[in-house]
Amino acid sequence: MFGYYFMLGVRSLRRNPFLTALMVLTLAIGVAASVSTLTILHVMSGDPIPSKSARLFVPQFDNGQLDEYSPGAEPDDMQMSYPDAANLLRSGQGERRTAMYNIQLPVEPTRKDLPAFNAAGLAATRDFFAMFDVPFRHGQVWSEADDARGADVIVLGHAMAEKLFGQTNPVGQRLVLTGHPYTVVGVIGPWGPLPRYYKLIGASRFGQGEDFLIPFASAIGHEVPHAGSMSCSGKRDSGYAALLGSECTWIQFWFETRSQAERADLQAFIDTYASEQRKLGRLKRAAPNRLYDVMEWLEKLKVVANDSKLSAWLAFGFLALCLINTIGLLLAKFSVRATEVGIRRALGASRADIFRQFMIETGVIGLTGGVLGLALAFCALALIGMQSKGMATIAHMDWKMLVVTFAISVASALLAGFLPTWRACQVTPAIQLKSQ
Amino acid sequence: MEIRPILSAMLRNKTGPVLVALQVALSLALLANAMHIVNERRAVAARPSGLLDEAATFYFEAHNLNNDTPEQMLATIRRQSELLRAVPGVASVAYVSQMPMSNKGSTSSFSVDRNPQGQTTSLGMYVSGDSLVKTLGLQLVAGRDFLPGETVDVDESALRTPPDTMIITKAVADKLWPGASAIGKTLYFGSGEVPGARIVGVVERLQTAHAQVGDLGEYAMIMPARLYGEAGALYAVRAEPGQRDRVMKEAEQALRAASGSPMILTARTVEDDRKSRYRADMALSWMLVTVSALLLLVTCSGIVGMASLWVTQRRKQIGVRRALGARKLDILRYFIIENVMITSAGVVGGVLLGVGLNQLLVTKLEMARLPVPYLIGGAVMFWVIGILAAYGPAWRAASTSPALATRSL
Repeated sequence: MFGYYFMLGVRSLRRNPFLTALMVLTLAIGVAASVSTLTILHVMSGDPIPSKSARLFVPQFDNGQLDEYSPGAEPDDMQMSYPDAANLLRSGQGERRTAMYNIQLPVEPTRKDLPAFNAAGLAATRDFFAMFDVPFRHGQVWSEADDARGADVIVLGHAMAEKLFGQTNPVGQRLVLTGHPYTVVGVIGPWGPLPRYYKLIGASRFGQGEDFLIPFASAIGHEVPHAGSMSCSGKRDSGYAALLGSECTWIQFWFETRSQAERADLQAFIDTYASEQRKLGRLKRAAPNRLYDVMEWLEKLKVVANDSKLSAWLAFGFLALCLINTIGLLLAKFSVRATEVGIRRALGASRADIFRQFMIETGVIGLTGGVLGLALAFCALALIGMQSKGMATIAHMDWKMLVVTFAISVASALLAGFLPTWRACQVTPAIQLKSQ
Repeated sequence: MEIRPILSAMLRNKTGPVLVALQVALSLALLANAMHIVNERRAVAARPSGLLDEAATFYFEAHNLNNDTPEQMLATIRRQSELLRAVPGVASVAYVSQMPMSNKGSTSSFSVDRNPQGQTTSLGMYVSGDSLVKTLGLQLVAGRDFLPGETVDVDESALRTPPDTMIITKAVADKLWPGASAIGKTLYFGSGEVPGARIVGVVERLQTAHAQVGDLGEYAMIMPARLYGEAGALYAVRAEPGQRDRVMKEAEQALRAASGSPMILTARTVEDDRKSRYRADMALSWMLVTVSALLLLVTCSGIVGMASLWVTQRRKQIGVRRALGARKLDILRYFIIENVMITSAGVVGGVLLGVGLNQLLVTKLEMARLPVPYLIGGAVMFWVIGILAAYGPAWRAASTSPALATRSL
């Protein structure tokens, strides 16, 4: 019977073309609005590294000055000073650890036909690649010895490698950064988690991957200035050495533990570390020391903007309105078919049969609205993507959202169809037939 | 009036009226909140930056790839500034540390006295080797611009000796010295470890690099210093009105031609910066406007649809009433009054729902509180829309000929 009812449903689309078109359109617009905003929310709030998001931690100390401090207040500084970063790197805590900072440098290709250009990259330690699951296309990461002596080696992002060296394997080639020759040791493959959770501060949160990476110690050794935000409490003299010794915070730090359970050990370690530093006269505020795993960190830094939530809420309010509207239209559509129901009932159809028939019919409307809504949602996302490069990387649909779109549209149509169908089932055959 | 009979008729068949009232309530609540947010965002995006002629102002960021000594860099800065001034159509050039709304810039904290425990204020720091007041066309409301002798050359790579004069914005003056003149007062760096600088002028307005919402977006100060010794130079240029694009192209060619070493040169207009600073706000406001328009369309179609349905359902009754002596006007009035009653119920619900939704937005999403006029305006609008939407079907009902309508009885 399902197939037959389905056929009837498809046919009834044509019976009342204006009313049906209005219904399908209303449903499609409601679905498109809610799905496109939901897609953006989904990409923004997704877990960028599900396999280990509970094992990667950002430590946070409060190294501000004592004045203007109210005891018990949460630390408001999200980055780390160089002394702390250097100490934690040496600590050997966790399975892996890395310190990093944003750099923006002019790159001078050895090729003469390519002019110098600015590239945005990262100064990090070798653990970075293993911690954040960075794949390699050519070569490999630099060695521990390179980290230790601050060797001038560089790992390129694949887009920059292609720009500089074409399709050839560039491992072993050289290029000049800040006047120093760097040797290419590797090229990373397609990689670009969204959001860019590993460096949420000082760079676009929805940017794609990195142009290049160099060893942290090499960048410090060449006094490469950081690109991004820095917050300084207390005095800082001029010059790079003074910056390294200061309490200015500009470095982002990550730990990786072997298991989630080791979080308590890591917390104990940073508490001990902080109290040792306090004895040395640093970290004067007795503020709590914090660890954030990936999802907590995304939450803390409000990666999902309030504006995106607002859009999603309003879009769902709009979908609700479209639903109420569809209920009205379906009531109108079904009310003229009381006679048909009366005859079917008189010929022996049970209420359940009528219910099934009309629900399948609304399902067909929901499906049509869903297909149209999906097309509209793609248009809406393309429009949103044109806003900026960052939005373009966010506004794309994956198969999960495709399924959700269909679920939303069919579920809304069925929900809308419930009341009208129930009303149609209430038709008393005797009265209907009498009035013929 | 026939309110009683209409009401009792409606109560016998509640579903339709309830659906319409719900639609009106929901769209009024959404619309009032959406319009409020749209107006708020547009007002923020339209704030003046303090620049005289934004459309004619642009800037270059020049990065020379060489190993010059700080003194050579200073010479390059002077040479490039002169080069830019010589381009025909250039009104004024300033070598400056940052630009308003560019999203790249530094702030520094200042205090009014040397008390280390005292309150400090964070100000956007414009360090300019030339008159920024002239180049950006800022409006002085008190005091004067820097004198030529007050501008100092400061080597960033060596110890910093800050200049001893500064210009602040009116927003800063009003905050630190409310009701008094700021001219001649001193501001200290940090909490007063370094000698302070004397305020010589107050400008009406100069937005910070981040152009934050609220007063914070105008907390800025200008220092007369030519910073050198670190790679990278920023030149703000104001062209004669209407000549920006041509001047920009010629100035870029001039800079490139005169450079002896490889150079990375980027040019941006203030208009570009304004656009990217407020891109998210404008995107949200367009999205809300689109949704609101669809909202109205859907609600209208809902009201028209339901009213038409009722007219069709009651054709016979209308015929009977007309046959019994009711005029066209009576029928028309019946449907209009019925619709006004339903819309009114919806409007009342919508106002309550709108206030509730706003409360949720205020607590959960840090949005601003909804002013009452939005609700009143929305209510009036929906009343008018309700009557207009019902007019068509009601007129059709009134034109029903009694003979035709009662024929099948």
